[in-house]
Amino acid sequence: MSVISPQAFAPPAANDRGGPVPATLREQVRRLERANNAQRAGRTAAPLGLPEIDRLLPDGGLPTGALHEIEAGPAPSGRVAAHDAAALGFTAFLLGRLGPGTLLWCRQPAVADVPLHAPGLVAWFDPGRLLIATARREDDLFWAMEEGLRTPGIAAVVGEARSADPTAGRRLSLAAEKSGVPALLLRAQPAPPQSVCATRWRVASAPSTDLEPRWQVELRRNRFGAPSSEEMPSWLLEWNDETHHLSVVPQARAGSTGTGRRERLAG
Amino acid sequence: MWRDGCPRLAALNPHARAGGLRVHMRLADARALLPDLVTRECEPEADRRLIEALAGWCDRYTPWVAVDPLGAALAEEDAMQVCSAGGFGGDAGLLLDVTGCGHLYGSGDAGERGLMADLVQRLSRHDFTCRAAIADTAGAAWALARYGEKQADLLCQPNGQRDAIAALPVDGLRLDPPILETFLKLGLRRIGDLYPLPRAPLARRFGDQPLTRLDQALGKIDEPLEPRRRPPAFRTRLSFAEPIGRPEDIAAVTSRLLAALCQQFEQASVGARKLEIALYRVDGSVDRTAIGTSRPNRDNPKLMKLFAEKLGELDPGFGVELMILSAPEVESWTGAQDTLPETVPIMANPLGEDGTIDLADRLALRLGAGNVVRLLPRDSHIPERMQTAAPISASAAPAGAWARLAAMKGARPTRLLQRPEPVEIIAALPDDPPRQFVWRRHAHRLVRVEGPERIADEWWRPRPGGKVMPATIVPPVRDYYRVEDDDGGRFWLFRDGPLNGARWYLHGFCA
Repeated sequence: MSVISPQAFAPPAANDRGGPVPATLREQVRRLERANNAQRAGRTAAPLGLPEIDRLLPDGGLPTGALHEIEAGPAPSGRVAAHDAAALGFTAFLLGRLGPGTLLWCRQPAVADVPLHAPGLVAWFDPGRLLIATARREDDLFWAMEEGLRTPGIAAVVGEARSADPTAGRRLSLAAEKSGVPALLLRAQPAPPQSVCATRWRVASAPSTDLEPRWQVELRRNRFGAPSSEEMPSWLLEWNDETHHLSVVPQARAGSTGTGRRERLAG
Repeated sequence: MWRDGCPRLAALNPHARAGGLRVHMRLADARALLPDLVTRECEPEADRRLIEALAGWCDRYTPWVAVDPLGAALAEEDAMQVCSAGGFGGDAGLLLDVTGCGHLYGSGDAGERGLMADLVQRLSRHDFTCRAAIADTAGAAWALARYGEKQADLLCQPNGQRDAIAALPVDGLRLDPPILETFLKLGLRRIGDLYPLPRAPLARRFGDQPLTRLDQALGKIDEPLEPRRRPPAFRTRLSFAEPIGRPEDIAAVTSRLLAALCQQFEQASVGARKLEIALYRVDGSVDRTAIGTSRPNRDNPKLMKLFAEKLGELDPGFGVELMILSAPEVESWTGAQDTLPETVPIMANPLGEDGTIDLADRLALRLGAGNVVRLLPRDSHIPERMQTAAPISASAAPAGAWARLAAMKGARPTRLLQRPEPVEIIAALPDDPPRQFVWRRHAHRLVRVEGPERIADEWWRPRPGGKVMPATIVPPVRDYYRVEDDDGGRFWLFRDGPLNGARWYLHGFCA
C-alpha cells in the first residue's frame, strides 16, 4: 500500500511563480477560444422577419449551425400534392434570410426530376450564388452535403432527398454545428420523422387570392425553441412579389386544416 | 494475313527467316519452302493492343514514346505502304526519344548503355524477344535495332550513324517493297552503296522516298516523332527497390511526389489544371488516374485532398515498382497562397470564393465534371433557354444579372420541366381559359387563371435544319397561363398556338 503524500493535493508549484507561459499552451488556449467562437457562431440564428414564428425559434430565428427539414405537405384536401413548389419556395425564402455566400444545392435526379428554374427563384435570392451538384446515389448526395458544410464560404447547403436515415442526419447535424452553416433537407413527400433535425417544417400550397405564393406552414419540430401554446403551430404565409415581403395571413389559425393535425408532434 | 485474295505471311520468327521466308510471302510458297511450317492467324487488333501497352510501359524511360508508324500502317487493312520489316507481331517497333534520360542510369555514355540494357533485360523478363539500339536519329536506330549484328554497334556514337549503318542491308532504310526489290536487283545491297550515288538520278528513278529515308537516317533532315501521349512539361518519379502495394504507402509516395512537383510549379510560376499519377506494376502493366482542377493550383494539401479521393481506385496489383506524377495541363499562375508563411494558420475567409472552387473540384471528382454546375442567365425569351448550366470554371453570373433578367419577365415558375408535358384540357369554349387539366392522370380543377402571356418563338435563331425560318411562315407562339387548382397548387400551362386544335402543355410549377 502506498501512502499518499500530503503534497499530492497541493497546487503545483510552477503555477505560483508567474513564469512565462509556454508558446504551445498559448496556442492551445487560442485554439480553444476559436472553437468556442465557432460554437457560438453555430448558435446564431437567422430571423425570418416574422415575429409570430421568430418568437418560437431559439435565439429568435432559424438556428444556423443546424439541420433543418422542409417537407412538402399534402394538399388541403388531403391529397398528395402534385409538386413541391411551395416547400421549395419556403426553402428559397429561408435561403434568402441567410448570410451571403455560395449556396450548395445537391439534387438527385431520381428524387426530384424537375430542375430548378432560376428566374423563378430571383424573388428570394440571387441564383448566381447557386452551385448545383447532381448525385446519382443517396450516399453521394449526403457526402456532397457534408463536404459543402465543411467548406468555408458556403452560406447554406440544401439537399433534395427522399429521407435522411438517422446516421446521415446525425452526420449532417454535426457537420453543420461544427461549421455554423445550416443544412436544409428538402423533401417532396412527407416521410416518417427519423432524423435529429433542429426544426422540421411542413409546407403545403394554400389557395391564394391572386396567384401570389401562399403557403400553409407547420412547425412540426422545434428542438431548442420556446414551447408553443399549440400542439402544432401553423401559419398561413403569403409572399408579396411587389414588396418582397413575407407576411402572416391572420385568419390562418381559424382555418387550420390538414391531415397532419392527427399525428403527434414528433421529437 | 490475307492480301490479294490469298493468305500471306505477316510475321516471322528467326528460324523461319533463316529458312528463307519473308514477310508477305504467299503461304503456299512458304509451305513449299518449309513443309513443316507452323502458322497462326494474325490478330492485328491484339497486336496493336499489346504494342500500345508496351508503349505505355516504356513511359517509365521517357515521356516521349511513339509506336513505330510503319508498323501501325501495316495493321490497317487498306494500307498500301508497307515495309519489308516492320509491323506488329514479330517486327513491331517502338521509338523512344531518350534525350537527356540516360542520367538516371549513369553518366553520359554509360547511362544510355545502362538504360538500354535495363530496357532489354526487363522486357526479356516478360518473355519478349527484343533488340534495342540507340542512335542520333530514329532512322539509324531503327536500322541498327533490326539489322545491326555486333552488340557493340547497337549504341551508335554521336554523329557516328553514317559509318554505323553503312554496312547494313538496304532493308534498314524503311523503303517500300517495290523500291527495295529494284535496289536488290541493281545490286545495291548495303546502305553504304547508296552514299556515292548521285542524288538527282536516284530521285528521278525512285522518287523522293529513298533520299528522304537516307537523309532521315543520317540526320540531314529532321524526323519528328509523334509521341503517343503528349509529354507533360512537369513530372516527377520515384522508383522503389522493393515493390510497394499498401494504399498508405502509395498515398505517402504520392504526397512526396506532389511536394516535389509543387516546387517545380512554384519555380516556373504555374499551377496545375490536371495531374496524372501512374503506377508501374511489376507485371509490366500501368494503371493511371487523373485529377482536374477548375483553376490553376499548386497548393500541395489541396491537391493531395483531391488525390485522396482517387487513389482508392488504383489497383497496385502484385506490387508497384515505379510511380510517376505528371502534370499534362498547367497554366501560368502567380498564386497568392505561396506568400503566406507556413507557420501562420490560414484563416478561412468566410466570404471568400476560394472555398467554393475547391469544393466544386472535390465534388466534380466524385460526381463527374458535368454534375457540378452553376446557373448562368441567357438572353432569351423562351423559358427553357433562359438559364444554362455552366461548369464551375466559367465565370459566375455578375451579381444582379438574374434580377435584371427576371424583372423584364412576368412571374416565373420555380421548377421548370425540361420537356413540357402534354395535358388534357377542359374549357367552356375553345378560346376560353381552361377549367380543368389532367396531368399524369390526375385531374386538377382550376379556380384561378391568369393569362395569357404570349411568348413568340425566336425566328432569328436557325432551325434545327440549319435554316433561318422564312419570313412568310408565322412563327409558333406559346400562350402561357398561370393557374391555380382548388388545392392551392399553382402551375404554368401553355397552349402552343392561338388556333383551334392547339395542344396544351404543362411547363412548370409555381411557388
